[in-house]
This record gives sequence, C-alpha cells and structure tokens, in this order.
Amino acid sequence: MKPGLLTTSAELSKTDPRVKLIAAKIKKENARPEALIEILHTAQNAYGYLPMNVLSYITHSLHLPPSRVYAAVTFYHFFSLKSKGEHTCLVCTGTACYVKGAQAILHELEKQFGIKAGHVTADQKLGIQVARCVGACGLAPVVVLDDVVEAKVNADQIIQEIRAKIS
Amino acid sequence: MTTLDIYIDDKPLKVEPGKTILEVCRENDIDIPTMCHLDGLTDVGACRLCLVEIEGVNKLQSSCTTKVSANMVIHTQTERLKRYRRITTELFFAERNHICAVCVANGNCELQQLGYKVGMDHIRYPYLFPSCEVDTSHDYMVMDHNRCIMCTRCVRVCGEVEGAYNWDVMNRGFNVRIISDFNTPWGESGTCTSCGKCMHACPTGAIWPKSLSGEQLHKNPEMISELVKKRKMNL
Ligand code: SF4
Ligand code: FES
Repeated sequence: MKPGLLTTSAELSKTDPRVKLIAAKIKKENARPEALIEILHTAQNAYGYLPMNVLSYITHSLHLPPSRVYAAVTFYHFFSLKSKGEHTCLVCTGTACYVKGAQAILHELEKQFGIKAGHVTADQKLGIQVARCVGACGLAPVVVLDDVVEAKVNADQIIQEIRAKIS
Repeated sequence: MTTLDIYIDDKPLKVEPGKTILEVCRENDIDIPTMCHLDGLTDVGACRLCLVEIEGVNKLQSSCTTKVSANMVIHTQTERLKRYRRITTELFFAERNHICAVCVANGNCELQQLGYKVGMDHIRYPYLFPSCEVDTSHDYMVMDHNRCIMCTRCVRVCGEVEGAYNWDVMNRGFNVRIISDFNTPWGESGTCTSCGKCMHACPTGAIWPKSLSGEQLHKNPEMISELVKKRKMNL
C-alpha cells in the first residue's frame, strides 16, 4: 500500500470540536459501516461540507474502501466536497448559537460581503457557510474562520478579521 | 429434486428453482445479448440489454436478475425486444466517445460485436460527446473513460473476486464515472493490487494494458468465471 492515502486523524486537530463531534458519532454507531450516511451527515453539518481529510478519517474508522465512501458522497446532492472560496467563514446556527444571536451575525456578514450563505464572493476570496452545530455550544455564538474556531464572537470583530484575511 | 415448468419462446422446459431466466436461456442455447452480466459476478441489471417479456407482467424484466418461477411464460425474441436491444446499443455509442478505428479493442470488443449482432448500421441519437479523462497514471494499465459503458464489471470483479475495492462509481446520470479510491489517479491508488482482473472483465477497450498498440488486445473474461469456480473448489 502506498503511503499517504489512508490518512488517519493525525492530520485533524484533536482539539477541534468538530472532530470530536464526528469521533463521538462514530463511537455511538459502533463504527458500523452501515452508519456511513449518518456519520457523513454529522460531518457535513459540522463543516458545511466534507473536507478530504475528514473523509479519510471516516473511511479509515469504518474500515470502508475509499471508493465506496466517495461513491456515496457524490451520489447524494446533499453532500458537498467543496468549500468554495479561498477563505471560509462558517457560522454555526445550532440552537445555542442561534439563541446567542448567530442569525444577526450571519445577516451582517451577508450584508457586508454582498453574498448569501452557501455562496462565494465574485473574486473567489470568501465563502460564507452555515453549519447546524459545530459541537462547541459552550462557546456560543461560534464562527469558524478557515480552520480556527472563534468563541463568543460579535459581528464587527469577525468582519474585521475577514477583511484582514482577504485584503 | 423439485423442478418448475416454464415456457420460453413457446418451448416447455423443466428447470431448477433459484435460477435466473438468463441462466436457463444460456443452458438451452437461447441467445440473449448481455453486457453487464459476467459469469461468476453478482448480477446488477445495469445494461438493460437482457430484457425479456413475461406474460402477465406489464414491465419488461432483466433476465439476469429475474428468477424463474412456476408456469412462467417468457418471450425472448419478440420484435419489441429486438427494437429495444438496438436502441440500447445505439445509446451506448451515443453516450461516450467510441471510435473503433483507433481503439486497441477493435476486433476484440464485446460492444463492437453487440453492434454487429443487433444490426446497428447507424446511430439515430445525437452523440453527447462528453469530455472524458484518460488515466494513464498506472504503471502498466490505462483507464480510458471515453470507452466505458458503465457496466460495472470492473467494480464487481475488483470487490467480489480480488477483494481490493479499488473501483466504484461516482456521481449520477451524465456525470457518472468509474473511480479509483477517492477519485485518485489509478497509479496512486492505495487499494489497487495491480492484478489486472478488471482489464479482463472489461467488455470494451476502456481498460487495457500499456504494452499493446492497435488491435492487439485479447481479453479473457472467461478466466474470471473460471477463477470464481476454482476458488470455491477448495482442492
Ligand atoms: S471500465 Fe470497462 S468494465 Fe468498467 S464499467 Fe467501464 S466498460 Fe465496464
Ligand atoms: S445483462 Fe442483464 S441488465 Fe445487463
């Protein structure tokens, strides 16, 4: 077997709440291969799409052939393999974040950058996504900028950070 | 042993339960064209060439996936079936970019033979001309998606016989493609054992060995069927 293909969780940050969420889901399902779709749902809800290293991690944990996982992911339109845009801003809209004003933050971001959630700016610099829960409710409201989880955010601060990244 | 009485093309037959219509037809020299069926592999009913008419059943049934049952009256050579077989064949050609004249499988291709068999002298449907990749990354085999008919024989032989599960199918409809691992170039696959079974199972020139040029290709799909039998023998 050639190295590097079946990457394990090594590439994923152990402290990322989204990784923990997926690991917990896999454990709950006893790593049954039949639970693939459920687990993919959890991952997609946490990331807004399915990054390749996350797919590798799931594939490895369930002992499934990579081709089978890729086939399932590309068969259902619900799943997406692409985070569109050079930088991504993922707004968690789970219950806790919602209560703490995630919707207002999202509106403000959409207004500032002129795109709706799920879309990318014309220059491909920024994509805004929503997740149903990234698993960090204690930090609500949460926004994930690229790979960094930002806790208890407010809209102005996030907008400033994004501007710094994309300018 | 119990047997079932069935009729195929008005001929009464006594058959063992559990067999598919296609198996019974093959045993009795009744000719039904097939593409996705390969002896030894699980049937999936993908190509729709083996359709037959069963009296009392409204829809045409694929004979490779339909088991015989008592008093079935089956027709395999009606005008309607012949028309459909030709349409299906034409659609295979219209769907991808099949150019026999420049293909290694020319003269040794199940798809080409099928064209002759159903009397396809031209294609009545617009060609789709999809843009397809040719994956030459493997050390000694090539996967040319232009010539693939999505029969999935390679996928099944790789999983069921070799146990490697290198191949599967991604996307849907117009965009379906055979993939290796995570849509990884074949040569970088972490699961392919380079056994070459998919090359032999493939009915067209989609998978072929690099060492060949024009019209030298001879595939041996029967080898797969033999292999499956031998593996069960436990000598
Ligand atoms: S590559 Fe060959 S065996 Fe595989 S699906 Fe295409 S035509 Fe069938
Ligand atoms: S052989 Fe029966 S559907 Fe292909």
